[in-house]
Amino acid sequence: MKNKNFKRLLSAVTIGMMTLGLLTGCSGGGAEEVKTDESGAIVIKFGIHVANPAEQESVTYNIVEAFNQANEGKYKVEFEAADTETHSKNMKLKAEDGTLPQIFWIEGSETSEYSEAGVLLDLTEFLDENADVKAALGGMEAAFKDDNGQFGLPYQCNVQGIFYNKELFDKAEVAYPTDETTYEEFIEMIGKLKESGITPLAIGSKNSAFAMWEFNEFLARYGWADNIENILNGSDKFNNKELTACFEKLQGMKDAGAFPENMATIEYFDAKQLFNEGHAAMFGTGQWDCGEFDENIGDKIGFWWGPRFTDTQSNQEIVMKVPSAPIGVSAAVADDENLKEGVYEFLKFYYGEEAAMISYKGSIFPATSYEGVTASGTQYSMNAMIEALANGWGSPEAAPDLTVSSAVQEALYDGIFGVLQGTYQPTEALDKIDAALANSQ
Amino acid sequence: MHWLSKKRYKIGLMIPTLLIYSIFIMLPIVVAARYSFTKYSGIGQAKFIGLKNYVRLFQDEIFWISFKNTMVMFVLAFVLLISLSFLIALLLNKRLKAVDFSKALIFSPAIIAPIIVGIIWVYILDPNIGIINNVLDAIGAEGLKQKWIGGDTLSPYSIAIIYFWQQLGYLVTIFIAGLKMIPGDVLEAVKIDGASAVQEVRYVIIPMMRTTMSTVAVLIITGVFKIFEIVQQTTGGGPNHLSETLVTYSYSMTFSSSDYGYGMSLAMVTFLLSLLITAIYSTVTKERER
Repeated sequence: MKNKNFKRLLSAVTIGMMTLGLLTGCSGGGAEEVKTDESGAIVIKFGIHVANPAEQESVTYNIVEAFNQANEGKYKVEFEAADTETHSKNMKLKAEDGTLPQIFWIEGSETSEYSEAGVLLDLTEFLDENADVKAALGGMEAAFKDDNGQFGLPYQCNVQGIFYNKELFDKAEVAYPTDETTYEEFIEMIGKLKESGITPLAIGSKNSAFAMWEFNEFLARYGWADNIENILNGSDKFNNKELTACFEKLQGMKDAGAFPENMATIEYFDAKQLFNEGHAAMFGTGQWDCGEFDENIGDKIGFWWGPRFTDTQSNQEIVMKVPSAPIGVSAAVADDENLKEGVYEFLKFYYGEEAAMISYKGSIFPATSYEGVTASGTQYSMNAMIEALANGWGSPEAAPDLTVSSAVQEALYDGIFGVLQGTYQPTEALDKIDAALANSQ
Repeated sequence: MHWLSKKRYKIGLMIPTLLIYSIFIMLPIVVAARYSFTKYSGIGQAKFIGLKNYVRLFQDEIFWISFKNTMVMFVLAFVLLISLSFLIALLLNKRLKAVDFSKALIFSPAIIAPIIVGIIWVYILDPNIGIINNVLDAIGAEGLKQKWIGGDTLSPYSIAIIYFWQQLGYLVTIFIAGLKMIPGDVLEAVKIDGASAVQEVRYVIIPMMRTTMSTVAVLIITGVFKIFEIVQQTTGGGPNHLSETLVTYSYSMTFSSSDYGYGMSLAMVTFLLSLLITAIYSTVTKERER
C-alpha cells in the first residue's frame, strides 16, 4: 500500500513538474569567439527584432548589404533575426551567457537594465573619434546616456502621430485636422466620421498594447517630460491632476465611439489593415508604415500630431520626433581590437550619409540629419510628415513610453487600453501604474 | 530476463532517464523556485527579497482573475470532456455506419496546432467579424449577439469550449482504446444475464475503465493548466488581463514586464495548484476503489 501511495505521489509530482517545466529554462555559459567567414572577413553579428530583416526591416537590411559590399573580405555583418518578443528574450539569455551578438537592438524600456548589468560598451569613444557622426545625430544620442556612459545609439528616428485618409474625410465632409485643432474639435470630428459609417480611429489591443504611439503626444502635451522625474523619484504620482485630465480625454474618445468595437480582439496589424483598406479614417503609427501607406492610400494621405488641449498649462507645441529604441554594442567587443574596429566601422557607416540616403529611400527617418538628404516626391506619407515637421516645434528627448522601466511601461499600456476599452476609469488606471512603479522599486 | 530484474541493473537502466529528467525537468523547477524569491529583470544580479513576490501575488487582483479563469476553464473542460468523450467513445465503439469517418472527423481538431485552432475560433467568436454574431445578425437575432471573446465576462468560457473542441477527439481515442481492452466474454455474460445498456455501462464498463478514466482526468488537469496558445491567439489575455490564465499571466509578467521573479512565483503557484488538484483527484479515486 505504501508503495502505491508513493507511486501516486511520484506521478502527481511529475505532472506538476512538467507543467512548471514549460515555464522555465536553464542556461549555460561561455563566451563567443571572434568568427571569420570563408574570405577571412571578420563576422559581426547584428541581433535584430524582426524575423525577416529583408522584408520587415528592409532599410536596415539594405544598409547592411551596402556595408558588406563596401567591406568585402574585411568585415561582414550577419543578422541574428527573431521577432521582437523572442529577440528580447534571446538577448537577455545571451547577456547572462556572455554570448550577446556584437551589435543588437534593445527594447526601449529595457535599456537601463542592460546598462546597469554592465554588458554594453560605452560608445563615448566612438562618438569622440567620429565628430561628423556626432554632429549628424544632433543630440539624438542623449536619450541613451547615463552614469555608465553612452550605452546605446538610436536605431532610427521615430516620427509618431496620426495618419489620416483625406478621401474619407472629404466623403464625411470633415475638415482636415491642423496644428490648431483642439480636443473638443477632434471629438466633433470623430462624431461626424462615425456618422458617415466608418471607424474614426483604427486601433487594436490584442498582443499589441505597445501600439499606442498617438497617445505619446497626449502624454507629452500633459507635461510628461516635466513631471516624470518627480513621479519616478516618488515625490509625485502618476495619479496626478495632469495625467488624470489626459486619461479623461482618452475616455472621452472611447465615449465618442472613436475605436473599432472589436479592438480587444484585433492586433496592430489588423487595425492597420482597416486603415489601408479605407475602413478607418485615422491610424496612429510612425514612419515605419509610410511605405505601406504610399502603396495603399497614395497621395490621399495626411499626417497630424494630434489635438491641442485647453485644460492644461503644459506646452502644446510639441511634436514626436524622437529617437527610436537604441542599438547597443556588447561590452565583450572591447576584448578584441580587430572586432572593435570592425564594429566602429559599421557604426560609422550606419550613421553616415550613404545610409541616411538608403533610409530616406525606404521611407524611414534616419537618426542622423544630412543636408540635402530627404524623401522623393512620390513618398507621400513621408512628405506629409516632413510637412508637419515644418512647424519647427520641439520634441521631447524620448517618447514618454520609453522613459520608464518595462514593468511600468506595461502598466502604462494596460492603463491606456483599459480606459480606451472601458475596463478602467482614468484614476483607477493611473493607480495601477503607480502600483506597478512601487512594485518595480 | 532474470538478470535484468536485479536491483543494480534496474538502477543502471534508469540512470539515463533520471539524468535527463533531472536536468530538463527538476533543475529548471529548482531554478524557478529560487528566482521566485528574488527580484530579477532577466539580466544582472537577482536580488533576494524573501516572500515578497508571494505576498504581492495574493494581493494582486489580476492573479485572482487569472486563477478564477483557470478554474472556470478547468471545471468546464473537465466536466464536458470526461462525460462527452466517454459517451462518444461508447457510441463509436459500436458497429455503426460511417464509424471510421466519424472517428477521423472527431479526431481531426487534435492534429491542428493550438495556434491555428485559436485563429479558426477568432473567425467564429470575434464580436465583429465572427460567424456567430454575423449569423445572429442575418437571422434578425441581434439581441443575442455577445462579446464571446474580448469582452468582460465570456472569454474564459469560450476558451474552455475551444479547448474542449480541440481535445475531444484525442480523449475519445483513449477511451475507445480502454473500451477495446474490456474482455468480450465479460460483456457477453452481462448481456446473457439480461442487463440493460445503462446497467452494462454503470456496473461493468465504468468500473473496468477506472484506469483509463484516471489517465484522461490527469491529461485534462495538466492540459488545462497549460492552455496558452488559444488564449494568446483569441484574446492575448485581454482586454486588460481579464481573460488571462495562470500560465499566460506568468508569461506576461516574466517576458513582457521583465519581472522574472514575480513571473516565477506565479509559475510556482501554478505548479503547486496542479499538484494539489492531481493529489485530490488521486485521493478521491483511491477512496472509491476501496
